[in-house]
Amino acid sequence: MNKIVKLAFADFKIIFRDPSLRSFIFLPILLFALMVWAVPALVDRYDFLIPYQPLFLVIAVIENTQMFCFISTMVLIDEKETDVAKVYGVVPLTKTEYMFSRFLIPYLFTLLLNVIMFTVQPLFDISFGTGVLISSLAALVVPVYVLAINSLVQNRMQGMVYVKAFNLVVLAPIAAFFVPGKMQHLFGVLPTHWIFKSVENASLGLPNFITLGIGFVFFSFLIWFTSRRFIKRHFV
Amino acid sequence: MIHVEDLNFTYLKNDNPTLKGLNFTIERGEVFGFLGPSGAGKSTAQKVLYKILDGYQGSVIIDGKSISDWGKDYFEKIGVGFELPNHYLKLTGKENLELFASFYPNGNHKDLVSLFEMVDLQDAMDKPVEAYSKGMKMRLNFIRSIQHNPDILFFDEPTSGLDPVNAHKIKQHILDLKSQGKTIFVTTHSMETADSICDRVSFLVDGKIQATDSPSNLKNNYGKEVVSVELTDGTTKEFSLHGLGENVGFTSFLNQGDVKRIQTLEATLEEVFIAITGQSLQV
Repeated sequence: MNKIVKLAFADFKIIFRDPSLRSFIFLPILLFALMVWAVPALVDRYDFLIPYQPLFLVIAVIENTQMFCFISTMVLIDEKETDVAKVYGVVPLTKTEYMFSRFLIPYLFTLLLNVIMFTVQPLFDISFGTGVLISSLAALVVPVYVLAINSLVQNRMQGMVYVKAFNLVVLAPIAAFFVPGKMQHLFGVLPTHWIFKSVENASLGLPNFITLGIGFVFFSFLIWFTSRRFIKRHFV
Repeated sequence: MIHVEDLNFTYLKNDNPTLKGLNFTIERGEVFGFLGPSGAGKSTAQKVLYKILDGYQGSVIIDGKSISDWGKDYFEKIGVGFELPNHYLKLTGKENLELFASFYPNGNHKDLVSLFEMVDLQDAMDKPVEAYSKGMKMRLNFIRSIQHNPDILFFDEPTSGLDPVNAHKIKQHILDLKSQGKTIFVTTHSMETADSICDRVSFLVDGKIQATDSPSNLKNNYGKEVVSVELTDGTTKEFSLHGLGENVGFTSFLNQGDVKRIQTLEATLEEVFIAITGQSLQV
């Protein structure tokens, strides 16, 4: 546990000392302000926005995950670029422990942000348990995103390109919102679709056990797959 | 301590093996060196020994146990000094060391301040590493590798990027570690480093060991045991070192004129390397 705390603490020091990463810490505050004050005010003023309220919540949930997706991606790319990753290959820390220590805090932080988001958002009445379940699923975006990009890139420049591409992949299933009937599940090949559907179902008061279940299985597979690739490439 | 037999390794994207049937043994308390040009396979051999690379063929026995049977406790036993500096640039030198020290719960940790003093970095220990010069970062590499007091040390080009004074100090520290009974495996393309710290060296070219012996034996075998005398008029003669005091020809030659230079014709390690391998070290 000491190792995990030390590493997480070091990560926070790095983040706060890097101006390009530090600013991302404040992203959730902006997001909360938009969801608590701006969106309800807009919906009150413009009736045509009422059907799109679940969409606002979907975007808020996924944007909450993006903070640590970007920060952790950059921290690990920096680790690779400066060859610090090689040092982790020769310390008494298993690769599983390494990944656990790198992702536990970002995962819990992201989960907490979304639990708060579900609690404070004034648009829908979503139970605490449902909020926790969806937040647990949504927070899995962080390790998958970070491991996938870090399995592919060698430096920050490449990293920025892949961040843009991955953001597109993460957000693409929003389009399903505009597709009628079961056709919208064509977006199910993209894992975030199952998060979006879970949020949408919860906001409409529909059951979401199936979408959550598919989501957890999908993300578990992706974590297994990306972590294997990551371990092969990161420490050499 | 380290016994390697018929070690072969091929990188996934390569057709040809990088290591071709290496055989060597490193005794406890010995400084052993791989001397060879860039791309010879020196670092690859070390990477296999510190378990960064798997998929090798052959046998690697560390302290009586196959390297594949060692778990993560192996990393408490070894310390690795990398060829290039690798630190968190936004953290201070002290924070970097403290972070990596936390991974060795069973380590007999050395005092951080004395480690920094050892390499003259005490004034910089609270500065971010991004403000360090390359030489300072290399010295930080060195103390990070020894901070948990490991039994086996791997140093990849330990004097690279260091000025002559600090290079000398690092070599002295390596010899101090040897005197404490540490087993040390060094790779270098610096003939001078190998000559001054290694008990034995292997010449590695294209993944093959061409020769293994102590630097002094290698130089004796390939050098001339003679003294060369040059007079101010340009006349030069060589005399055997054996019985030089009783050599009448030598004393009479000295009396023929003013002596400009007297030197032994011992081979340098680099000359021996070239003679054996047909290649230069500075590739």
